[in-house]
Amino acid sequence: MTEQPSLEVRDLVKHFPIHSGLLQRRTGAVQAVDGVSFAIRRGETLGLVGESGCGKSTVGKTVLKLMDPTSGQILIGGADVTHLGPGAMWPHRRRIQTVFQDPYSSLNPRLTAGTIVGEPLENFDIARGAEKEERVAALFQRVGLRRDAMARFTHEFSGGQRQRLGIAKALSVNPDVIVADEPVSALDVSVQAQVLNLLIDLQDEYRLAYLFISHDLAVMRHISHRIAVMYLGRIVELTDKRTLFSTPLHPYTEALLAAAPIPDPVRKRRGRVILKGDVPSPAKPPSGCRFHTRCPYALPACSQDDPPLVEVAPGHHVACLRRPVGGDPVPLS
Amino acid sequence: MTNILEVRELATHFFTLDGVVRAVDGVSFDLARGETLGIVGESGCGKSVTALSILRLIPPETSRIVGGSVRFDGRDLAALSEAEMRAIRGHRIAMIFQEPMTSLNPVLTIGTQIAENVVRHTGVPWRAALDRAKEMLDLVKIADARRRIDEYPHQLSGGMRQRAMIAIALSCSPQVLIADEPTTALDVTIQAQILDLMLELKEKLDTAIIMITHDLGVIAETTQRVVVMYAGRKVEEAPVEALFAQPTHPYTRGLMRAVPRLDVDAEIAGRRPRLQEIPGIVPALNRPITGCAFAPRCDFATERCRAKAPPLVSTSADHAVACWETARVLEAA
Repeated sequence: MTEQPSLEVRDLVKHFPIHSGLLQRRTGAVQAVDGVSFAIRRGETLGLVGESGCGKSTVGKTVLKLMDPTSGQILIGGADVTHLGPGAMWPHRRRIQTVFQDPYSSLNPRLTAGTIVGEPLENFDIARGAEKEERVAALFQRVGLRRDAMARFTHEFSGGQRQRLGIAKALSVNPDVIVADEPVSALDVSVQAQVLNLLIDLQDEYRLAYLFISHDLAVMRHISHRIAVMYLGRIVELTDKRTLFSTPLHPYTEALLAAAPIPDPVRKRRGRVILKGDVPSPAKPPSGCRFHTRCPYALPACSQDDPPLVEVAPGHHVACLRRPVGGDPVPLS
Repeated sequence: MTNILEVRELATHFFTLDGVVRAVDGVSFDLARGETLGIVGESGCGKSVTALSILRLIPPETSRIVGGSVRFDGRDLAALSEAEMRAIRGHRIAMIFQEPMTSLNPVLTIGTQIAENVVRHTGVPWRAALDRAKEMLDLVKIADARRRIDEYPHQLSGGMRQRAMIAIALSCSPQVLIADEPTTALDVTIQAQILDLMLELKEKLDTAIIMITHDLGVIAETTQRVVVMYAGRKVEEAPVEALFAQPTHPYTRGLMRAVPRLDVDAEIAGRRPRLQEIPGIVPALNRPITGCAFAPRCDFATERCRAKAPPLVSTSADHAVACWETARVLEAA
């Protein structure tokens, strides 16, 4: 029997209207997310990687229903929650939780750590009173915080400890899916390692599905099972981690991998593809393939034809005119 | 090679309501002419305060350089008057910062901001300075310099703003360029462009660079020699190849092992291995630290480490480390 994916999105679109002029007429739209589809199984991490403005955080906020999609479908454990209002969404909220990037601004400074982590238990009527206290204490222990930290306020915690609090809060309601948006980007590397290890342990223990959003390819390589690369609102490549790093097929993926600095001085100054120019505005994405303006391998057709994301090899999806189904994965030139 | 900059036993303290914060606590290093020196460490290790102290840019209301000396081209910077110091800043020693949006003046055009630096330090007429500004924009490869020169910072992308910052910094051909996390706020493909540009200009103009960063990848790709800082002190110094081939201080080793690697397959028999954590957190700097600052987090720490701070000892001609237990650390491989 095949299990329902923990989280699935189909053709997700999120446009933000632009209003301008005296009458504030709608004059255009920022196409933040423009047709994104993926599914995440239990116990699996899907990494969503891309540069600022590629729409990766908008995907996260939309699947959490913190904003409504313009079109497309969101399914949590097989249930379509796309059009549910706040009330009908309530029972589903327990199943999808989030860990934010900034542990400083995402925790209420006036509440004790124990209250913060225990709040969802009360909200969802899971536990109250002494039972709640016990559960919170167990959660503290599970994420590596001392029990006596429950009485402290968030400003008394370090960045890494705050991120542990955020994780404990997300875990408190036994979710199936955790959307983690840059959860370690604000942390120093020594602490980042602690939090990544914790996230991996928790996933293995509870078979959580993670939608892990990050700009950091090395972190992605460590924590993800599959990785989706986004560029200007679209997924341009989606495959398992090993394939992505050994045989990247989309020119943008190749450029991203080449641009990331490697902590190995012997390998420095290798001949690498450096992308020219900046990412175009998502309010005015280029015609055809959105990457063609920066692509070193673009053909004339790339400025007209918009390549769909197709499965060119088993499990390997690429949106590039130069990467046809069953094509040889040879380097382009 | 002669040294353009010699920093000796530099100590900068901040006087706060929570006590005296020893942000920089006796740091020494040399910078040779035309050399790229990296300073690496985590938040709060004192790397930025070191840079600001060299330029005497620390806030006088709360902080003071309490000890040590900075010699630039044979002159003791501490002995200079404020007017003499102003003649050095932006002229002989220039600095670029992490966030180009907050360090550029939003109400002046890019051309004006470059030209005003040129006029201030060389006294050439405004027209000539504007010509120089255009030349600098060409040099940092801002396309269409003639148009960009009249634009304001908000009209430029993040990468272009950082190019403009570099243009200002290099406009008077400084002997030393201090770059404090110059690419941390930028996307990875833009970061690659800026790092390449900096290295190219360094060759062209023979400027020595102090590259301050938390990113070991940036260190490996751009620097020749590296100073590792922890809790306001220098713990290790070595040529970049030697540092990565044989990191010797337990903190340096910990940092290198804690970083997820982009170039190494992070799966062993289908399982994600744990990153090596550095347990604990950095010490508070507002209390005196007896012994080695890293001892509470160090696997090799002994009674002596906790009692007495280790001196910096040479392990080879150009590799120095501040650790009592170097023999045991190296044995542990």
